[in-house]
Amino acid sequence: MVHKMPSGTDELIADLADAIGAGRVTAGGAAREIYGRDSSIIEGGHSGPVCFPESTRQIAECVRVAVAHGRDFVPRGAGTGLSGGAVPCNDPVVISTTRMNRILEVDVERRIAWVEPGVINLDLSRHLAGTGLHFAPDPSSQQACTIGGNLANNSGGPHCLAYGVTSEHVAAIEVVLSDASTVLLGAEVGDAVGYDLRGAFVGGEGTLGIAARIAVRLTPDPPVVRTLLLDFQSLVDAAETVTGIIAAGIVPAALEMMDRNTVEAVENFVEAGYPRDAEAVLIVELDGLEEGVTHEIKIVKRVGNENGVGTVRVAADDVERELIWKGRRNAFGAIAHIKPGYYLHDTVVPRTRLAEVVAKVNEAVERHDLIVANVFHAGDGNLHPLMAFDPREPGVMERVYAASEEIVRIAIEAGGVLSGEHGIGLEKRGFMPLLYSPDDLSAQRALRDAFDPVGHANPLKMFPTGSSCGDVMHLAEVPEGVWV
Amino acid sequence: MSPRGRIVLMRAAQTGGVDCDDEWYDAMETCMQCRGCEAACPAGVPFGELISGTRSAMSAVRRAPVHLRVGLWALTQHRLLLFGSRILAVLQRLRVIPRVGFLPRRLPLVGSRLSYRADGDVILFTGCVMDVWQPEVHDACQYVIEVTGSTVARSGPTAGCCGALHEHAGLHGTARRLAKQVVQALKGNEPVLVDSAGCGAALKAYGDLLGTPEARTFSDRVRDVHEWLEERMESLPSLPDGDRPGVIVQDPCHLRHVQGAHMSLRKVLSQYVDVVELNDDGLCCGAGGSYSLLQPELATAARDRKVDLITKASGLSGAELVVSANPGCSMHLAAVGLDVLHPMQVLAEVLEAGIDPEGVRDGQ
Repeated sequence: MVHKMPSGTDELIADLADAIGAGRVTAGGAAREIYGRDSSIIEGGHSGPVCFPESTRQIAECVRVAVAHGRDFVPRGAGTGLSGGAVPCNDPVVISTTRMNRILEVDVERRIAWVEPGVINLDLSRHLAGTGLHFAPDPSSQQACTIGGNLANNSGGPHCLAYGVTSEHVAAIEVVLSDASTVLLGAEVGDAVGYDLRGAFVGGEGTLGIAARIAVRLTPDPPVVRTLLLDFQSLVDAAETVTGIIAAGIVPAALEMMDRNTVEAVENFVEAGYPRDAEAVLIVELDGLEEGVTHEIKIVKRVGNENGVGTVRVAADDVERELIWKGRRNAFGAIAHIKPGYYLHDTVVPRTRLAEVVAKVNEAVERHDLIVANVFHAGDGNLHPLMAFDPREPGVMERVYAASEEIVRIAIEAGGVLSGEHGIGLEKRGFMPLLYSPDDLSAQRALRDAFDPVGHANPLKMFPTGSSCGDVMHLAEVPEGVWV
Repeated sequence: MSPRGRIVLMRAAQTGGVDCDDEWYDAMETCMQCRGCEAACPAGVPFGELISGTRSAMSAVRRAPVHLRVGLWALTQHRLLLFGSRILAVLQRLRVIPRVGFLPRRLPLVGSRLSYRADGDVILFTGCVMDVWQPEVHDACQYVIEVTGSTVARSGPTAGCCGALHEHAGLHGTARRLAKQVVQALKGNEPVLVDSAGCGAALKAYGDLLGTPEARTFSDRVRDVHEWLEERMESLPSLPDGDRPGVIVQDPCHLRHVQGAHMSLRKVLSQYVDVVELNDDGLCCGAGGSYSLLQPELATAARDRKVDLITKASGLSGAELVVSANPGCSMHLAAVGLDVLHPMQVLAEVLEAGIDPEGVRDGQ
């Protein structure tokens, strides 16, 4: 069925075209089909007109026109989000930042770069080649995801263990608010005086406004990087090694774990030489000065040996190192080698309880007759259990949904939180009361209302509501004969 | 527009969730078919098959523009192509025709300067437009193959055009006809070596395109010339240590993403030169078969990005030579004044200077 746009849409489109130029607005069926979803399995979103502004002023114009027509507006980067934050509900104006992809200024001495929100994460670090600096947040989708999207979700990535998540790397933000005014939050140097509104804005998932220009902090490239691959015959041993490494006083640049199912799927794609017979592998990346790194390698080997490690492989060169990382970065997509669909969770638990929580999660998922594969940022206790399934199988989504709820409850009961880095979006808004009391939630709503008193900035996200837009369950029915 | 977006639209077209209007067509037509998404896809989605089938279905509903159809037809008429090209070459020298974007700035007046045999240890696939516009590349390639001690026959006009551009444009029927013609003309057991990445990818896909045992056997014989050389590195002479020129490698999509032969190229070249990388994971230069003619705006944007990278790599490394193993890419980049050679030309040059420092090779 082709979704019909609500009345008044023609006038809205005309006003948007007047404001920012007809070539920057599209409202055809094809656009609305594409912009109706992100990279999650959430379906059922309906986009209104899609705008492609090319300046702060044009973003503000989109917002002004949308609000004047009583429509919501939803900012969107590359659409790689995993929690439905950019999935449009109720035919809003979708504001795509993809044409705002300029790196405006790089100040090598002060280690600051001003970028537009649509700059692709990896493009910034590539642009910095030769300066000895890079942008540290490295989500696995960094080849495609935008810095604006990283900011909206306060995204992490393997190297955020040592270097911190996106918020640590954002100095200042030029924001367009829902009254179409523009404000500067934060400061290029030091902390802005007064409340840390920059900190409040990062991770706001577009519910507080739209970032139009971002000053990011740049990180010096480490002098030496070594990547180690350790394999184990039990997940508990691998988890104990993680705890042991941190307890030994080392904070590796990255500390990642993958279980047997994940390794199997990944190895089919990258052929990086991951051991297929191991129950778990750890990727440990150490960086710093040569002497320090050499010393830390010894400690990691010792801790591994104490916990029954099979082999410890140190990547011989950049090619081997890149192959190991390619496997890790592509772990989610590679799950298609097991089943065509997957549903991924993103919870954080105390690091010391990793092994226990994973065992419970696996038990819960398998009880629902689903295949589970685990990939996680082990160093900071960030779990990514993936349930692999075939959406054409009748009733499978009900089982996925039931298992999901259990996963979230297990994490929270273990003292964890709902999301490590993927955001709340539509996906987990219903779970917020599990973590927060009504008072906590109303305090957060008050913050939201202070930024967006008219309530048009990406509403229905983050907070529990009765709206069924973008229900995960929509996928329960897949028409016969459709390839997945 | 992302590959995921296009897949969503293809699926929506299948289920009736979207009207196949101009916007939908535009989404499909703006795909460069670089297949970079396939190489990057951990799930192994065969995007090439999906877009190829879609384009074929589209061409049945909306015919390709006249100038494209005429151009693609001309590729199958070797004599006409040769004759027309020579006339244009003369007119270029008389300065009576203006510069046209996709035409080489100086079309050749003569063809190959090397003699070749009817039978050889290997067959060099010469194709259509490359044989007419870049005969020096085939000559360089033949020279390098001969240095390894093998003899070379050429596929010539009887085999003709490989049909890659036709398949790319959704003209599935013509592509199949041309594929049959090539398979028929090149019977035997000798390896078929290809120095054009686009043609090589097409020839290797004949097995799937035609689905016959003959076509599959033929496709198994096809090797990119770099792949073939990589297995015969010991037959190439080691040269005395001297200056190693820096060479910037621009990977054609059909070499890197489709054939996966880009590492062979590096292995062969790096024995004699310093390979300089562009650090862009092989992003398309915008040539994309006939893409640069049909989507000039996007093709130019992609080329600008590539030229920026080349300039940057050149600045950082000091390398001045740029190579690309596909005629479409080199012509597309040459249109903005960038001098792009085929890797075999650089190799032939280096080998010749090393083997016979005094001599000057014919045809260069």
